[in-house]
Formats: sequence, structure tokens, C-alpha cells
Amino acid sequence: MIIPVFRYSLIFVMLILLQVLLFNNVEFSGYVNPYVYIMFILLLPFEISSWLLLMISFFTGLTIDFFCGSPGMHTSATVLAGFVRPYILRLIAPRDGYEPGSDPSMIIYGFRWFMLYSVLMVVTHHLALFYIEVFRFTDFFMTLLRVILSSFFSISFILLLEYARRGR
Amino acid sequence: MRNLLNFLAKYNNLIIFLILEGIAFYFITTGNDYHNTRVVKGVRGITAGVEQKINNTRSYFRLRDINQELISENTRLKNIINRLSVEEDLLFVPVSDSVYGQHYHYYSARVIDNSVNRQKNFFTINKGKNHGLSVDMAVTSDEGVAGVIVGCSDNYSVVMSLLNLDFRLSARIRSSGYFGSLSWDGRDQTVAVLSEIPRHVLVSEGDTIETTGFSAVFPEGIMVGTVTGYEKPGGDFYTIRVAIKTDFRKLYHVNVIGNLMKTEQTELQNSFQ
Repeated sequence: MIIPVFRYSLIFVMLILLQVLLFNNVEFSGYVNPYVYIMFILLLPFEISSWLLLMISFFTGLTIDFFCGSPGMHTSATVLAGFVRPYILRLIAPRDGYEPGSDPSMIIYGFRWFMLYSVLMVVTHHLALFYIEVFRFTDFFMTLLRVILSSFFSISFILLLEYARRGR
Repeated sequence: MRNLLNFLAKYNNLIIFLILEGIAFYFITTGNDYHNTRVVKGVRGITAGVEQKINNTRSYFRLRDINQELISENTRLKNIINRLSVEEDLLFVPVSDSVYGQHYHYYSARVIDNSVNRQKNFFTINKGKNHGLSVDMAVTSDEGVAGVIVGCSDNYSVVMSLLNLDFRLSARIRSSGYFGSLSWDGRDQTVAVLSEIPRHVLVSEGDTIETTGFSAVFPEGIMVGTVTGYEKPGGDFYTIRVAIKTDFRKLYHVNVIGNLMKTEQTELQNSFQ
């Protein structure tokens, strides 16, 4: 029980540091802001109870908000991502279901499954985040473009990180 | 009662979700208002320490650029000294009394946290109340207008950047003197929009836009940028696109300008409203 908690705390700290120190400083022409910390929500185990998942999402978003100085934006987007995660997992479940006791990882379920999973999660999160940030529907398509470009980069980085994790 | 419990058990995730989203939206609505940067400021106090460390490292890597800038500024200042020292040969030299006649006070500060990619951008500088700064002071870079202080703690200040949808500035065309309102439309980080210039005024690309000093925040005649394009939508006014002179991506040294006579001016103006 203790070891997984410790492991996930470590992943959490590393992802937050990556986001704050590295990815918050990445931007190309104002359209691309990758938000990679959402990977933490992706990596939580299948059996986690929904309320705990929501709570963890809430505090992940809150932490990022503290560092970005944008109260509530990341929190609400991440809580939404945590809320839809069980539905997305059910939607893309392999034919014979998930193996009990396993984590959502690329090693067990393969590249295609993990990519589909991260695309659905990241796009949900980024859609919510960017529209909450703009808070209006004028410039709808410009915001959509930012969502698509940023999601593309976030997903790429998440896949890279997951690949690096697999190599270890 | 039983039905109620069943209902709660069935939809407990949805209820937790809605409660958490409610809290998040409460943060958004209270925290992102222009006047409530005071809330952000408290949190910034905690994270500013970390950001200062990050920034120290970053400033080390930028030393080469900064040296170049200092060299060019040095030569400019030397030129000015040269020009002034020639005039001392005159018999009478006008002396401006710097103690009683001073209108603006200048402070220098360093940017320790900056953002350019949001719709409402703020940056943090490393001086605060202890150094004499206060809310509503003007902030400029070496090139031109940068922002206005919206919150001060003892050692840090949060500045609303020109790249903020809430930012308004009274600006004019230097050549003709017509003034209008300058704001940022949230699209391009290098372009602001000047509106309320009447249609009969002649505008051409490359015209200089500067501050007017009407608001008692910015002194008169500080560079904002140059005209890159303009259009005449249906109404009586131009919409002028202004290339911002300040490069917010590498904003580092800023000057804070306090108007020593601001209270006097605003009190007088308010007594007639």
C-alpha cells in the first residue's frame, strides 16, 4: 500500500516540476502551450475510486494554478478530466477488459491504445482549459486552433515521456 | 429518506464533481478580476521565492545580451553628456530645482516572473512597498510602455502588462497630436489597437504613437510603438494597429515611474465631477 503511494507522489512531483520549470516556458508564437502535468491523471491505477480520482485531480490542478497564477482555470479543467476518465476508459476498453491490478501503461496495452487514451484525455482537458481561459466565444476558431496545436504538442510529449518510462 | 440516500449513493461522483467544479469556478470568478490580483499576490509571495531562483539562473545566461544593451545605452548617454557640456560655456545656465520642482520619480526594477501567452498577462517585479512603490505607478522598459502596477507586497509588485485585455492607455499620434484609447485585443503579442481617432486625421504607416499623460499615471511622450496598419470600419473612427515597441518576451530591466503630483491632480479633477 505504501510503495504505490510513494511512487505516485514521486511521479506527481516530477511532472509538476517538469511543467513549471520547463513546459510553462515553452511557447511558439502564442499558440502553443503544452500542459503535460495532465499525464499524472492518465497514469493513476484503474481501480482507484472515483471520488479519490476527483480529489487528486482537484489538488493537481490547484498546484499548477498556484505556479501559473491563474486561480481556478487548471483546477476546473483537471477536475473535468478526472471526471470523464472512467467513461473514456470504459469506452476504449480492450475486448477482454483490463487486467486486474494493472496500470494504464504503454507496456501492457500497447502504443495504439495509450495514444487513443491520451488523445481523448488531453483534448478534453485542453478544450476546457483554453475556453475557460478566454471566457468568451468570440474568436472561437482561433481558440480552437490553439487547443489543437497545444494538444498535439502535449500528446507528443506525453507519449515521449511514457516511452522513456517504458525503457526504464 | 431512503430514496434520497439511494440517489446520493448512485450519483455521488457527479455530486463531488459538481462541488469541486463549483469551487474551481469560484476561484476563477473571484481570482481573475483586475481588482482581485490582491488574492493572487498572496500566493505569489510563496512562489516568488522559487521563481527568483529560476530567474537568477536565466539572467546568467542572458548576460551577453544585457551587456550589449548596456554598451549601446552607454554610448547614447555619453553623446548626451557631450552635447550638454558644450552648453556650459554660456554665461547663464538654467538650473532646474530637483527637490521642489520634481514631477516624476524613477525607480529601476527587475522582472522576476513574466507571462505573455495568456489573455490576461501579468508580470512580477522585485521591488515593493519597502522601496517606495505603490499601486497605479507606471512601468516602462527601455524601449517604451510596459504596464501598470496593480498590487504591491513588501518586496514584490505585480504589474498588469500591456498585453492584458483589461489594460487601457491614453495615447496619441506624435505628428498630429490626436489622442485615443490604446488596448490589446488578445491576438498578437506584438500588436496593440488604438481606437477613437477621428476619420479626418491623416494616418500613415510608421507614425509614432506615444502616451499623453492625461491619466496622471504615465508621463507625457513615452514611446508606445509605431503604426503598422489601419482600417476604417463603418463608424467615424479609425482602428489603428500599433506595433508595440517593448518586446515582452525578453522584458528584464524595467523603470517604475511614480507621479509625485498624482494625488493633487486627481483630487482636483474629482472635485469637479
